[in-house]
Amino acid sequence: MFFQPRHVDEALEIRGRMGSDVTPLGGGTDIVVTINKTSMRPKHFLDLTHLPDYTHVVRDNGNWVLSAGATFSQLGKLPMKALAAAAMTVGGAAIRNTGTIAGNLGTASPAGDGCVALMAIDAEVELTHATRGRRTIPIHEYFTGFRRTALLADELITGVRLRTDWRTAWYKIGKRGSINISLVCAAFGMSPEGGVRMAYGCVAPIVMRTRLAEEIIEKDGLTDAAIEAAAQSVMKEVAPIDDHRASANYRRAMCGVLARRLLRELRIKNTG
Amino acid sequence: MRNAEDGIRTPALPAKRTATAPVRTKPLIDPSTTPYKESPKGPVGRSEKRIDGTEKVLGTALYGADLFYNRADYFAQVVRSEKAHARIVKIDTADALRVPGVLAVYTAKDMPPGATNRQGLIHRDHPVLAEDKVLYRGDAVAIVVAQTERAVVRGRDAVRVEYEDLPVVADFDDALAEDAPKLHPDGNIMGGKRIRKGDADAALAESDVIVSETFVTQTVDHAFLDIEAGIGQWDGHLLTLHVSGQWAHEERRLTALALGLPMEAVRIITPATGGAFGGREDLSIQVYLGLVALKHPGKTIAMRYSREESMRARHKRHAMRIHYTVGAKKDGTLTAAKITVYSDEGAYASTGPAVLRKAASHSTGPLRVPNVYVDVYGVFTNNNPTGAMRGFGACQMAIAYCGMMDRLAERLGMDRVELWRKNLIRSGDEVTTGQRIPIATAIECMDAALKQFRSKKKDDRPLAPHEKRGWGMSVICFGLGYGDGFPDASRAIVKFNAAGRLEVYTGGVEYGQGLLNMAGQIAAEELGVPFSQVDVIWADTGRTLESGSSSATRQTYFTGNAVKIAASELREQVLDIAGKLLGVHPHELDLHDGKAVGRYNAKLVVPIDKLVEEGRRRKYSLEATGIFKPRTVCENYDTGQSPRSFITYLFASHIAQVVVDIETGEVRVERFIACHDVGKAINPQSVAGQMIGGATQGIGMALMEEVIMDDGVMRNPNFTDYILPTFRDVPTIETVIVENDDPGGPYGARGIGEPPLIAATPAVLSAIGNAIGVCPHTTPCNPQRVWELLHPEEAQVPYAARLSLAPGHAMMFK
Repeated sequence: MFFQPRHVDEALEIRGRMGSDVTPLGGGTDIVVTINKTSMRPKHFLDLTHLPDYTHVVRDNGNWVLSAGATFSQLGKLPMKALAAAAMTVGGAAIRNTGTIAGNLGTASPAGDGCVALMAIDAEVELTHATRGRRTIPIHEYFTGFRRTALLADELITGVRLRTDWRTAWYKIGKRGSINISLVCAAFGMSPEGGVRMAYGCVAPIVMRTRLAEEIIEKDGLTDAAIEAAAQSVMKEVAPIDDHRASANYRRAMCGVLARRLLRELRIKNTG
Repeated sequence: MRNAEDGIRTPALPAKRTATAPVRTKPLIDPSTTPYKESPKGPVGRSEKRIDGTEKVLGTALYGADLFYNRADYFAQVVRSEKAHARIVKIDTADALRVPGVLAVYTAKDMPPGATNRQGLIHRDHPVLAEDKVLYRGDAVAIVVAQTERAVVRGRDAVRVEYEDLPVVADFDDALAEDAPKLHPDGNIMGGKRIRKGDADAALAESDVIVSETFVTQTVDHAFLDIEAGIGQWDGHLLTLHVSGQWAHEERRLTALALGLPMEAVRIITPATGGAFGGREDLSIQVYLGLVALKHPGKTIAMRYSREESMRARHKRHAMRIHYTVGAKKDGTLTAAKITVYSDEGAYASTGPAVLRKAASHSTGPLRVPNVYVDVYGVFTNNNPTGAMRGFGACQMAIAYCGMMDRLAERLGMDRVELWRKNLIRSGDEVTTGQRIPIATAIECMDAALKQFRSKKKDDRPLAPHEKRGWGMSVICFGLGYGDGFPDASRAIVKFNAAGRLEVYTGGVEYGQGLLNMAGQIAAEELGVPFSQVDVIWADTGRTLESGSSSATRQTYFTGNAVKIAASELREQVLDIAGKLLGVHPHELDLHDGKAVGRYNAKLVVPIDKLVEEGRRRKYSLEATGIFKPRTVCENYDTGQSPRSFITYLFASHIAQVVVDIETGEVRVERFIACHDVGKAINPQSVAGQMIGGATQGIGMALMEEVIMDDGVMRNPNFTDYILPTFRDVPTIETVIVENDDPGGPYGARGIGEPPLIAATPAVLSAIGNAIGVCPHTTPCNPQRVWELLHPEEAQVPYAARLSLAPGHAMMFK
């Protein structure tokens, strides 16, 4: 079956009733590839693209509220450096025009550029159930394992919330200039209160934060010594693997390089 | 010399190309010694609109996949080996045959009587369907036929093949180990080639400096856009295959041999073709379609690969390990080169033997090296077969000799350009094979490229502290055609049809490179008819004559000449008719702008269509055939020397400017200049297009493209992980076309084809070396490799491990 609900309640009801038998469909940029490449054949689809306000991005009381269907092209226009820059490095223009933030969160790949950026700004993910209602969980609790998340089989991702007043920085290392899969990517964020978030992609089974390094910076500030100590700490905290894209040694070293580079950038830049 | 493409963003071609005649460089040869000079008045030298342009832009051109959708009765799919090296114990087709819609499953046992079940362009050593063993993951084991495409895929997946694993030969080292399993009856060394010129050992001993390096080049995929697809049918007498290739007549021969048919019973018609780059030189789906068509007479059988199957099945560019030692005097003059090359042949020979020979004969490129010692070995492994790809062995060697020049310059503390200038061959000098090159324009190409490089004001953006900028240069030469004594000929027919249009028939394949315009423009030039009056009929074994392959950079030179010979004969007929009609001697007339005109009496004017009508009335054939078959001389078996191994040589020089992030190893190409001596640009826009495309491919080879094989398993049979350059990775390619007439080429043309790729890769590598102070030795230089150059202790595969086969491991020529 291919469900195409026109209302959120209807979508939640179908998902609540059918659970993992139904596969939510946004831009389809991950799921269609998976279907083409593997033997995975979802029984039913739940096409969310006809829901009202599905692609809305609004400002609400000091927060950005992203609807599930906000595309990377939309995110690319946000005045939030890490998220916008990360969004603009996803795929090519066609992928960015159709791929959604909820899809990025649902796939939960450790190479998910959008996930890394959201991790750096303490975003909150809204998960909604037909009867239990909505729950909001911090993003670092959302990822639970390799391509596993806190999303239950009968829930839908309905939105993402993030603060507007964080300073952020982003860097992605890939083999080419666009349509580029990360070898390593990093997004760092700093709250007005001085909280620091250092998020990395492709260096562990899940998008991860290097909490020991964050503590070093939160304690000592962005001094040269603290930045170096944080970089060293990052290289110990990450757990990259050797694969056909890059070696673990390279990835680990790059985590240190990006720590230094992005922390210095946060130190210099006042906006973002 | 002319800056043809300056300021145009790659690969978008300029909206309007100048039609002005290119400025010639100062003639290098005394004009009195050149046999003749031609000044084209018609379409030759103009960027005429592509004959096939409109239909390709509008989407009405029919490629293999379009035929597939339009008219298929049955669908076929190949069951491919999941093992890199194994014995086939049993093929169980019962499940597959139970899939609704599946009609049959064929294995090697079902080959028709008389069939050899073998393919391969040079050695026919590759079973069409595996008989008892599979030698790479991708070897064809069976073919499934069904009524729908969905059924055929399900049927393919339902064929159960039971294997007995055999040890996998993953690389050269495995293959040459003493206890290595023998992949072919004669062992794991497919073949080799040697060059012995002068006494390299003695010259090295007397050299002031000796520099050694080992280069490791990667396996590259052709990655053409138009994936293998086509249709075929057997009507009881004739097997007709609509499948893209690069050499329709050879595909007919190989298909007939493999299937045990008389050659007359096979007709190959090449549909519109989107790219080839050597990847269509071996047979792809022709034999499979043929086999299934024979089993289902009267039905149209369709087949297509997915991108993954295309990458897993097809041959690749040879990965090579090149041990290179050069000696030089203090002043930079090269004295000797000693070179050992191991190349990964993969599972079957394909065009490997020719690639090895080309690698050897181009091992010192355009450099004057009096003493050369080369051993090249092709080693069988359980990787994909390796064969033809743009550059054909010469591009790997260019990486090595250009890299050695950088290293030598560094060792001697010499300016790189001066070192090149000192050692580049001049007209009359010898290349590696001892062949003297009458018109060698290496230095002119280099100077033209440098002039373009320095002509622009430096507006380089400021660098961050972790960035370094550098520039690098390559100078290459390339012998066109098959060479080495191999029979090499093109044939063409030129005729006026009943409607008075000029028809050119050539067996050559147009896959995007511009063959149709080349042939059409030459015929129109010769006969003085407007280019819009020309039709080109190509690559159909039922209608055209054999014109050799569209490869080896040979079609402009060979087919161009064949067309010119045919057209000039037809021209004589037309002039004869005109002479009879006007009552003057034909020599008093000339053909141009669609008219026969008196040379001395401007009042004598007859339109050519009138002459064609008149000729038809007078029973003239209005048709002529041209054959161009120049001879080359085999390279000597013991020394690799030949007075004329290649018909002529092309020269080129590229310059790249890069910015390297020395912390992450990321490389960005900022500027790129491609300069080629093409003899004469028949269609300058096509030539520039080839230069831009080749340079882009070369940048890809230098920085990102790599087929990653892991114990016989391809890790990246898709474009997510097989990284091709995008718009963002390639700057404006500034093209500089140099034109020095080739005495034997049509209107002085040599060709363009492969050299743009060959020259591009070493230029980028040289620029990286210049930026970071460490010369690259392994391709591609992706971020990790550049970082490993700067941090050798962190390298994933220690560099020393690659040196286990030292030079002199030679077991073949002792």
